Amino acid sequence: MNTLNYSKGQIISLTILRILIGWHFLYEGLIKFYTPNWTSKSYLSGAVGPFSTIFHQMAESGWQLKVADTLNIWGLTLIGLSLFTGFLSKPFKIFGIILLSMYYLAYPPFADFGVNAYVEGSYWVVNKNLVEMAALFVLFMFPSSNVTGIDRYISGFNCFKRNKN
Amino acid sequence: MKKTKNQEIFRRDFLKGLTALPFLGYFGFGFKDNIEKELLGKQKDPKEMLRIDSFDAIREKLSQRTGSESSRIKVGLVGHGWRGENLLNSLGYFHPEYVEKMRADTIYDRWLSYQKWHENLFVDITAICDTFSIHADRGKEVAQNDVRGKSSGNAFVKLYPNYRELIASKEVDAIIVATPDHMHVPIAVEAAKAGKHIYLEKPMAHSIEEAVQLRDAVKKTGVVLQVGHENRQQMSFKLGRELYQKGVLGTVSMVQTFTNRNSQFGAWIRERKFDSLGTPENINWKEFLGTAPWNEFDTKRYFNWQRYNDYGTGMVGNDFSHTYDCINQVLELGIPESVMAFGGQYYYNVGKDDMPDVFNAMFSYPERGLTMTYDGTLKSGIYRQSRILGSESTMDIDRAIMLFKDTYSERYKDVPESPDDPFYYYAPNTNANVDAVSSATSKSYFKSGYGPTYIDGKVIDATFLHLKEWVDVIRTNGKTSCNEDVGFEEAVTFNMANLSYAHKKPIHWDRANETVIIG
Repeated sequence: MNTLNYSKGQIISLTILRILIGWHFLYEGLIKFYTPNWTSKSYLSGAVGPFSTIFHQMAESGWQLKVADTLNIWGLTLIGLSLFTGFLSKPFKIFGIILLSMYYLAYPPFADFGVNAYVEGSYWVVNKNLVEMAALFVLFMFPSSNVTGIDRYISGFNCFKRNKN
Repeated sequence: MKKTKNQEIFRRDFLKGLTALPFLGYFGFGFKDNIEKELLGKQKDPKEMLRIDSFDAIREKLSQRTGSESSRIKVGLVGHGWRGENLLNSLGYFHPEYVEKMRADTIYDRWLSYQKWHENLFVDITAICDTFSIHADRGKEVAQNDVRGKSSGNAFVKLYPNYRELIASKEVDAIIVATPDHMHVPIAVEAAKAGKHIYLEKPMAHSIEEAVQLRDAVKKTGVVLQVGHENRQQMSFKLGRELYQKGVLGTVSMVQTFTNRNSQFGAWIRERKFDSLGTPENINWKEFLGTAPWNEFDTKRYFNWQRYNDYGTGMVGNDFSHTYDCINQVLELGIPESVMAFGGQYYYNVGKDDMPDVFNAMFSYPERGLTMTYDGTLKSGIYRQSRILGSESTMDIDRAIMLFKDTYSERYKDVPESPDDPFYYYAPNTNANVDAVSSATSKSYFKSGYGPTYIDGKVIDATFLHLKEWVDVIRTNGKTSCNEDVGFEEAVTFNMANLSYAHKKPIHWDRANETVIIG
């Protein structure tokens, strides 16, 4: 869909969704940044399910853990900022989906793995990570940043040019 | 100057691109303050909150290695049943079938590297005996398969027809006893007389008279005895003791202990794949009976021995003895003045002399101003940790600790948590960042049993540490944490409960004469 064909209501809805997800990512990133000696080690060590070995390995390996910590802190922060401001939001949405898929795979919501015991609600197949991934995918397919974000200024100034003519 | 229509459109378009900026501004204005508050909430200094000046127990380091090639200890195992094999596993010996099963598992490499990581205790298993030849043969296969690669390599594992010959062997410096309870003391006393050190599975003794006999024999001969309460190595109890001694609980007036089970296996009706192969030909029935009254050959009595008073010590000897020892670590309760017990044999009656499967006991400590209770059933698997009720706070303790402030606490009147919610939580190596208080991980960590402990930043099998302490003390002439005096307190205490149940009367402890008064 051409973004210029969005109705006003559609643009507002997509922008609100983008800002809310951006807010969430940004705060998650910053709180990790400000927490002294924050590490993803215990989260990775506690991973369950078919991919748990990979996550456990990451927790045990010094350099892999360092990479995971850096990607978490800066990944979350930058994705959050990107969504918030609508700056380079296309690649950051993909990055966000990848990051969320890692969280999903570390604690897949299937009763066999006992993951529901860790969280406050009850989930089967679908959990909040998956819903947020889906929301990011919707934003990827229906971008709003080239209307209500900084991407507007770097996407060739098409709208200005058209208005000027 | 009047703006043109195009300029107006351009301005509106430009501003559209900055739609999110006011939200970002609000975020930027408030997030730092919010993060600080959140971090402050998470980083309460537990020492300050508990009103103590230090945590000493959790700073404990692993003890130094005492062994060397020249100080190897030759160990014989008497009784290779379920627990006997567990003890060999803790020393790094595994049955080849088990190793093959592990090899097929994705965690094999991690398991093997964890096994090899263990300290070399410089111990060789040189002798095995069991009254069931199938168990004995399996024991030999286990003892010949050292997956940690710490044995001397030329140690020969010999099967012995009975414990007397094993103890008399020059190839044995020390023994591990994992037999039915009624033979603990006869075997241990024989070993002590022969100058052989003893790792004795709990409970220490089948009766109070036997407990006196073994304690005195160990003191007289100077051998090293370690009773198999491996929770002596469990950090939570060391910390619990420290917190109690530093006044965190205030005055303790009541202790509640529980052990529940709800399965045939849990009720000690145990059918293993090769147990059904037991016959008078491959079971040395006379050796099994040992000091117990004569009975005709009976595989039920043999394989479900825990259920019979002639050989076992019932729920209090099997389960409460562990819990009691844990509480004794924290509070140093010792032997109660009086005990009263009730119960019944309702669900798993397997024949004559069967043990009760519902049991309640009260242990009175008037000098300490407190009472301890024990509730156990074999018809409900609900888990409950021990609870120590103090005037300032109440401690739920097992392999983890939860503290609840008392409603009328002076010491913790400024603690914001409700008395219904824990204000201090100790659960090492759990996924505390997911949900520090109510996660299933934490709850499962709470549970006792033959699990690991957390010390010096490492997760280690508590039974390995308990065995290590035993061999270290053999070499250094120190004292084990579960020595003859500590074991004596355990044995007298739970045996008083069994006596009370049997006589349906209170049992009193005559400290001066080290005997009981019935009624």
